[in-house]
Amino acid sequence: MTPAWRRYAPALIFLLPALVGLAVFRLVPILWSFVLSFYDWQIFDQPSFTGLDNYIHILTSPVSGQVLRNTAVFALIYVPGSIALSLVLASVLNNALRSSAFFRSALFLPYITSTVAVTLAWKWIFSTRFGLLNNALAALGIDAAPAWLADPTYALPAVAIVSIWKDVGFYMILLLAGLQTIDPTYYEAARIDGARVVRRFFRITVPLLSRSLFFVLIIAMVRSTQTFEITYALTEGGPNRSSTTLAYFIYENAFIHFQMGYAAALAYILCFLLGLLTLVNFYFRRRWVHE
Amino acid sequence: MTLTQHIWLPLVAATALATSMAAAQDTTLSYMMWDPEQLEAERAAIAEFEASNPGVTVEALAMPPEDYWPRLSALAAAGDLPDVFAMSSGFVQSWAEAGNLADLTGLITDEQLAQYYDSAASVGVIGDARVAFPQNWVAPVMYYNIDMFDAAGVEHPQADWTWDDFLAAAQALTVDEDEDGTPEQYGMWLYGRYSHIEPWIFRNGGRLLNDDMTALDPSPEAVNALEFLTSLVNEHGVAPAPAEMEGIRQQDVFPLGMAAMWVDGSWNIANVRDIAGDSFQWGIAQVPVGPDATEETARAYAWADMLAIATNSEQPDLAWDFIQHMVGEGRTASDFLGGKIPAFQAIAESEAWLEADMQPANKGLLLEIGTQPVETGFSRDWSAWRGYAASGSGGMNGELDEVFNGRSELDEAIENFVAYGNDVLTR
Repeated sequence: MTPAWRRYAPALIFLLPALVGLAVFRLVPILWSFVLSFYDWQIFDQPSFTGLDNYIHILTSPVSGQVLRNTAVFALIYVPGSIALSLVLASVLNNALRSSAFFRSALFLPYITSTVAVTLAWKWIFSTRFGLLNNALAALGIDAAPAWLADPTYALPAVAIVSIWKDVGFYMILLLAGLQTIDPTYYEAARIDGARVVRRFFRITVPLLSRSLFFVLIIAMVRSTQTFEITYALTEGGPNRSSTTLAYFIYENAFIHFQMGYAAALAYILCFLLGLLTLVNFYFRRRWVHE
Repeated sequence: MTLTQHIWLPLVAATALATSMAAAQDTTLSYMMWDPEQLEAERAAIAEFEASNPGVTVEALAMPPEDYWPRLSALAAAGDLPDVFAMSSGFVQSWAEAGNLADLTGLITDEQLAQYYDSAASVGVIGDARVAFPQNWVAPVMYYNIDMFDAAGVEHPQADWTWDDFLAAAQALTVDEDEDGTPEQYGMWLYGRYSHIEPWIFRNGGRLLNDDMTALDPSPEAVNALEFLTSLVNEHGVAPAPAEMEGIRQQDVFPLGMAAMWVDGSWNIANVRDIAGDSFQWGIAQVPVGPDATEETARAYAWADMLAIATNSEQPDLAWDFIQHMVGEGRTASDFLGGKIPAFQAIAESEAWLEADMQPANKGLLLEIGTQPVETGFSRDWSAWRGYAASGSGGMNGELDEVFNGRSELDEAIENFVAYGNDVLTR
């Protein structure tokens, strides 16, 4: 046994169970699903090789196009919405330390509450005839309130709003941790120099929080493409697919229609798009993230 | 040899001998199905089978459908299917084509077969082979609120009702007391769901698929049925737009007294009993025959829940014995919850199953459906083109809802769901 091998052997032995688990339950399925994306396979039958057919169909099908557009619209609402709201909440709580423990918990609560349970409550809030929202609007004299979850114009934004509400507490905690690493003397110096709140926020808070913001941005982007439970419990992708996003469409194809090869191809398209967006983010990171 | 070896070796040998003897005598039959509540009802029948087959243990497992089909599929891929498993009318064709279902053709005699509803038993015949055998069957029926009918002075639904009779009743039963334009009580409730729509199409002699079930090609009778249903919502206002009922479970609209009539599966009898309780009297009727149908072309809509044997089962004879027990005399009426109709006629026709002391008082009407020509409406990839379960917002369901919600024209919707369906079927 060489000295180098003798040095690393104990570490490798200790890591072996985790490495085997990672390989068997993560890496092999990831690679196998890539192979599957070139097959027609319903799980219970024999797979048949179809080459690029799944990819070609996805890229030319009107339904897939609609689903990709929905995913983009959802991300455009969810990512900026959740980051802006969590930043505001984190800033407010950071400046109100005495009462922040209660509000921190209250705002974090939706994140750790059962998604299906809270989504059912939102479903009732959005209900057309008996919902809290429309009855509140009627009390204000607005009788022609929309059918939030049954109207293609509002269904996807409604799913995005509930998703933001659910996740904002998590992002807020991440940003709050970042805010608490900023040295207060920067703010004192700026105050002495006469900088107002808004200026202090954009000149001190945002630059010094940029690493946390970058992390939250990446996480929010990934999560925006993974929305499933809220869509499932709130709209089931409807009406007429207007709130079906890519993750939900993958689920439908894999576990309702058992088109596993097609679902695998969809998953790899999602993976490619996410990878591309992440690369773009890392490229622009140099311009706004302060190391 | 050490003392320890002296003690342990005989013990190990004795244990191995006992285990091998037990293995020779004991047989485990695996059984999987999609309804945990139903499995609890079946426990007594399973125990009875075990008692009459000494040495046989039935390892029964149930999970909800959303978990059942992925799990069963994974077991099929691994070559480890249970000996006996529940099979739906919707999947039987695909599963048979994939070679997962054992051929049962020679196992049952014509005499035995005559004891079952033919409409249910025929669903498990794919090509020339019987690959699954029915346990029970279900059928959409028209639920109607007797109290509302009586209050409006409308005659209860009759077997010879025409669609005009139905419309006249629905109009009389639609009530907008405060005249705000939103009726408090509708005559009818429907949306694009398969069990709301297809009964009207099949009772009008229509078809959605071509003869060999490989392409969507709605017949003129089917289009006429869709036009009639659209008119109920958009022209006559006797049924609400689906958007208006968003947020209410679809199966609760009728039992909550929001609509006087509703067409959906017989399995909803249990839910109507639970929700409505004794708050009103209700009954069931057959969906009215359409104007385009003849006696030969009008069909009922019904399908069977079946049991199948895995092709690679190592004990097909025992598995068949178990199926015979579970679909026949081994069962009691109480095993079939709500509106599930036993495929074995003797149980279906028993007083215990007919439940004359419960609502609906005319449950026997379901048995008439089993003697009629029926259509299951299923094809390969049905869930995708039809829009079913978690895909309910898409396909034909999604397009029809857009029509009922007044955002799309029927012609356009038909064109869209036919194009999408044929894309799915030829993919």
